[in-house]
Amino acid sequence: MTEPTDEDRYPTLSEGGRRMLDWLREHPSAPVFRNRSGNRLRGTDIAALMLFDDEVTHAKPHRHDELEPAWCSDFVAEVFDHVPYYRAMGLPPRRFTDLPVVSRADLSADIARFVPDNIPLERLINFRTTGTTGHPLLIPSHPQVAGRYLSFHKRALSRHGIVPTHGSGQVGVVLLGHQRRCFTYVSVTPTMGESGLVKLNLHPVDWRDPVDRSLYLEALDAEFIAGDPISFAELLRLPARLRPRALMSVSMALSTGLRKALEERYGCPVLDLYSMNEVGPVAVYDAKLGGHVLLQHRLFVEVLDDAGHRVADGTRGEIAVTGGFNFCLPLLRYRTGDFAALERREGEVVLRGLAGRAPVRFRTAPGAWVNNIDVTHAVDHLPLSHYALNQRADGSLHFLLSRRDASHAEPIRSALASLMGELALTIELVDGDDKTVQYRSDVDEAHA
Amino acid sequence: MPRQGPLLERLTHRLAETPPDFLDEPAIGGQGAAVVAAVVHDLLRLHGHAASREALKRFEARDATTDRNRLALALIACWLLADDWFVSASIDGGALLQFLGEESAILAAMTPAPRFVHDPDRREELARTCLARLDFVPEGETGAQANDRLSSISGAERQRLLAASREMEARAHAVREALVKKAAEESADKWSRE
Repeated sequence: MTEPTDEDRYPTLSEGGRRMLDWLREHPSAPVFRNRSGNRLRGTDIAALMLFDDEVTHAKPHRHDELEPAWCSDFVAEVFDHVPYYRAMGLPPRRFTDLPVVSRADLSADIARFVPDNIPLERLINFRTTGTTGHPLLIPSHPQVAGRYLSFHKRALSRHGIVPTHGSGQVGVVLLGHQRRCFTYVSVTPTMGESGLVKLNLHPVDWRDPVDRSLYLEALDAEFIAGDPISFAELLRLPARLRPRALMSVSMALSTGLRKALEERYGCPVLDLYSMNEVGPVAVYDAKLGGHVLLQHRLFVEVLDDAGHRVADGTRGEIAVTGGFNFCLPLLRYRTGDFAALERREGEVVLRGLAGRAPVRFRTAPGAWVNNIDVTHAVDHLPLSHYALNQRADGSLHFLLSRRDASHAEPIRSALASLMGELALTIELVDGDDKTVQYRSDVDEAHA
Repeated sequence: MPRQGPLLERLTHRLAETPPDFLDEPAIGGQGAAVVAAVVHDLLRLHGHAASREALKRFEARDATTDRNRLALALIACWLLADDWFVSASIDGGALLQFLGEESAILAAMTPAPRFVHDPDRREELARTCLARLDFVPEGETGAQANDRLSSISGAERQRLLAASREMEARAHAVREALVKKAAEESADKWSRE
């Protein structure tokens, strides 16, 4: 096993880029960076990324009319030719809708069978994902694929009229985590003039002095800040005076309350991105349209019922994706485990009511049912970083709340009481930073 | 002693003209329209037999990875065995089920089912295999000639498939190794982390 060198991590690093890395690491308030990583982009990759960026800028996402997009049939044929998992099935079916659906469990069983056999392995990288469904995965990827994320972030930003401008000598993006153990490092983005990229952990365990968190973030003066609701909730608690042009939230549902609190504090848009390791950024939330707008022009998004049949527009079901920009993992009808309804609004295609995992129903005090989306809406005005609701078999409710959000316990009680009536409710404060599964029920028929 | 069968060309011609219904997608877990177990049931009735529910179970499936291609080939084989010559040949019901279930699975293990319709060599292989397993020889051939020809045509294919299978295993092994290497774990920059 050979240890990568800085030449592997930053193949095109200039003197300016080197200075940026040194400054990021050696700043007096810098945290402990636990890991090393880089862009791994060679000159040819950078040229290819520029072309890709141009393609994304000018492309329009598929209109999602009844038929599959034109590129689908060639894509399916290529996948059946080169991907061992599909080649074992014979030839592609004549109808797209006869393609078998695959799930995370299929990938998890042997991900190697999903990697096309015409992909050179020397530059394969992986992204580790634990997921919430108990199927940990190593997602095969490539430096160019990782670099392509930026094009879709730009597309999402452009909805707010924002064009990234930071370049040499400036910090483009800070990626925030807030976990006991977090993968942290510094790098530069070659397609943005080697602007700095910092992945850091806001948890005090990674800092010599917790006060340094604000000082370092202020010194970075990053153009964009990416994170998840947990790390953003922590960011709000810091006295740091920051002026990012936008915040980008991924990984978990972002409540309206938290989004508004962030917008007010930092005076910039907060993008709620629906993104997953398997296919990258899929959609971005648009408050005006009331849903997540699709971002990728080579990703076909369907919504399926339990049997794998496509449902009509406006009907809720599981999101399945075909295509994508990760040429190391071309997917056909991949069931994401996330649920939404596909709708057309003002000429755009949006995912309405996006939520992870299968829907759960909760029984109210009078014996009626409300679903998990209703619960989300009921507490949406509160700036909660994350929470979980479990209904026990006897109908009583158990709400897990982050200790940091303890002050919202009473508003939660009244929100749930007005939604579900007077049910026994316990609120437990928890310290963990896990991205908790939000909804569970032990009541019979809750999953019907 | 194998019995005299039909002219081989009669069968290969029939395969070449397989109707679209017999090339349809096997119904598996919500996808596909062809209910292969029902087609097998009808074929058995055509031959004057009744297939038990238990016997038909092997023609039902849920997992596309392991079942789609073998069921697609079983469907094509049903079309072949519905030829008048076979229907009038008093073939044992158990032998028919065994051919449709087991032999189809062996042939389908590496070869896409539609190739047994569109590729002349594979048509010949399927027709000869079918006759041999049902204890017939093509009209005009001796048992030895028929055996030689079947070994030759399927032997070459098996060799090719074996080599492809070994290559595939080696590749899967290499992918697994590449994925867990230290370099791969270090990953590369994304502007957001899920």
